[in-house]
Amino acid sequence: MIFWVWVFGLIYAGLLVFASLKSYKKNRSSEEFMMAGSNIGLTLGVLTFAAALFSTFTFLGMPDFFRINGVAAWIFLAVSDGAMVFLLLWFGYHIRMKVKGMEFRGVAGLISRCYENRLAGYVFFLSSFLFLIPYVGIQIQGIAIFMDAAFPGSFPAWGWSAGIVLIMLIYSEIGGLKAIIFSDAIQGLLLLAVIWIIGWACLSHFGGIGPMFDKIGAVQEDLLSSPGPQGLLTPQFLLASLIAILMIPVTQPQFTTRIVVMKSMKTMQLMAVSLGAFAILVILPTIFIGMYGADLYSEYGRDEFFANAFLYDQPDAVAALAIIGLIAAGLSTTNAQIFALGSELRGLLRGNENSIMTKTKIGIFVFSVIAFFFSIIVIDQLVLLARVSFAGTGIMGPMIILGILSNRKISPAIIYLSLTGLIIFLLSLGGWIPDMYFGVRLDLILFIALGLAAVISHLTGIKRQLIRPKTETEN
Amino acid sequence: MEKKRLYWRICCIAAIILSIITFTPLVIPQGVSTPELGGVPYSLWTSFIITVLLVVLTYIGTRVHPGMQNEEEDL
Repeated sequence: MIFWVWVFGLIYAGLLVFASLKSYKKNRSSEEFMMAGSNIGLTLGVLTFAAALFSTFTFLGMPDFFRINGVAAWIFLAVSDGAMVFLLLWFGYHIRMKVKGMEFRGVAGLISRCYENRLAGYVFFLSSFLFLIPYVGIQIQGIAIFMDAAFPGSFPAWGWSAGIVLIMLIYSEIGGLKAIIFSDAIQGLLLLAVIWIIGWACLSHFGGIGPMFDKIGAVQEDLLSSPGPQGLLTPQFLLASLIAILMIPVTQPQFTTRIVVMKSMKTMQLMAVSLGAFAILVILPTIFIGMYGADLYSEYGRDEFFANAFLYDQPDAVAALAIIGLIAAGLSTTNAQIFALGSELRGLLRGNENSIMTKTKIGIFVFSVIAFFFSIIVIDQLVLLARVSFAGTGIMGPMIILGILSNRKISPAIIYLSLTGLIIFLLSLGGWIPDMYFGVRLDLILFIALGLAAVISHLTGIKRQLIRPKTETEN
Repeated sequence: MEKKRLYWRICCIAAIILSIITFTPLVIPQGVSTPELGGVPYSLWTSFIITVLLVVLTYIGTRVHPGMQNEEEDL
C-alpha cells in the first residue's frame, strides 16, 4: 500500500502545487486574494461548494452514522441538502442583489452595514468562531486517526495534525481564495471518485441493493426504519437538523462567500441545481459503506470500523486512494472554514488596507493554531459535532435573513436576542441547562423563537423613506 | 413576469410541502420498513424520491425565478 500512497500522494501534491502557482500573482489586490476576483464559473463553483460542504463528515461520518442509526440517516443529510439547495436559489438571489455595487467584505461586515450596528457583525463572527473552530479541529483529528491506522507508529497523531495545518496554511497563503477554489475542484472530484470506488466494493460484498437490505434486515431490522436502533432519528431530531442544514448557506461564511463570488446570477443558480445532484451522488455510496459496516463491524468502535472498511478490506491501490481522498475531503473543508474566518475578520477591521491584510493573515494563522489544539483535545462523533456546528451557526440565520431581506429600519433587538440565543445554546452544550423543554429540543425552540422575533422585528420596523435627490431648479 | 411570479410561488409551496411531509408518518412511519421498492426499505425510497423532487424543483426554480430577468447582470 505504501507504494500506492506515494504514487497518489505525489500526484495529489503536484496538483495542489499547480493550483497554488496558477493562482499566484505578484501584485494581486486584497480583493483578488480574499474574494478570487468574484469571477468563479459554474464547474469551479459547484466543485468548490461541494468540496467545502462534503468533508470528513461525509466521507467517514456518514457511513458511521448509517451503520449506527440506519437508513433514516438519508433524511438527516440528503433530504436536508435537497431543501438547502432550493433555499440557496432563493437566498443567493437576495444576497447577490444586496451586495451589488458594493465591495463584499464578508457576512460580518455586510450584516453590520444592514443593521447600521457593528454589534451584529461581532455577534455573527463570535458564532462562526465558536462553532467552526471545533468542527475544523475534529476533521483534522479524523484525518490524523486515519493516518495513524494506515501508518501505525510512524508519527504521533498530533504530528499528522500539524502537517495538515501546515499544508493548509502554505497553499492558502500562496494562492488565496482562488488557490483554495482550484484545489477544492480537484478535491471534490477525488472525493466523489473514491467514495464511489469504496461504496461499490461494499455493495459488491452483498451482491446488490436488494440482497444488501435483506441481509441487514436479518442482522438488525431496526436499521431499516426510523428512528433507528439508538432511537435518535425521531421526526423532531430530523426537523431540527433540516433547519440547521438549511441555514448553512446563510450562516456559514465559507458558503456565503462562494455564493457571492460566482460570476453571475445565472451561474449561481445553476450551481445550486448541480450541487443538489452532487449531494445525491456523494451521499448514496455512504449508505453502502454504512450497511457493510453494520453487517461486518456492528460491534466495533468508530476507529476500527474506519480502518477495516476503508483500508484493510480494500485492495492496496483503493486503500491508498481512500487515504488521499480523506486528506482531500478534510483539507478542502478545513481550509475553506479557516480562510472564511479570516475573511470575516477582515470585514470587521478598519484602517489602511495593507495593515488590514496583515492582520487578516495573522488571524488565519492564529485560527489554524487554535484548530490544531482542538484537534488534539476534542473527542466526539464526527456527524454529531458537525450537526452542533450547523445548529450553532444556524441560530444567527433569522438575524442575517432579516438584515438582508428587510427594507425597513430594524430595531437592534434581534441582535441582542440572537446573542442571548447563542449563550443559551452554549449553556446547554456545556450541560449547565437542559437541552429539552416540554419534550421539545432546545435548538428547535431557539430556531422558532428567533424566527418569530425576526418576523415581528420586520413588521414593527420603520419603513425607510427613499429620498429623491433634489434637482438644480429645486436648489 | 406575473406568470413567472406565480410559478415561482408554486415551486416554493411545493418545496415546503415536500419538506414537511418528510417528517410525517407518510415518509417515516416509526419502526416500519415496508412496503419495499426493489428491496429498498420504505423510508429510504420515499425520502430518496423527495430528495430528487427537491432538486428538480430547484431546477424549475432557476427557470421561473422572477429575478432571472436580470440574469445578464453580473456583479
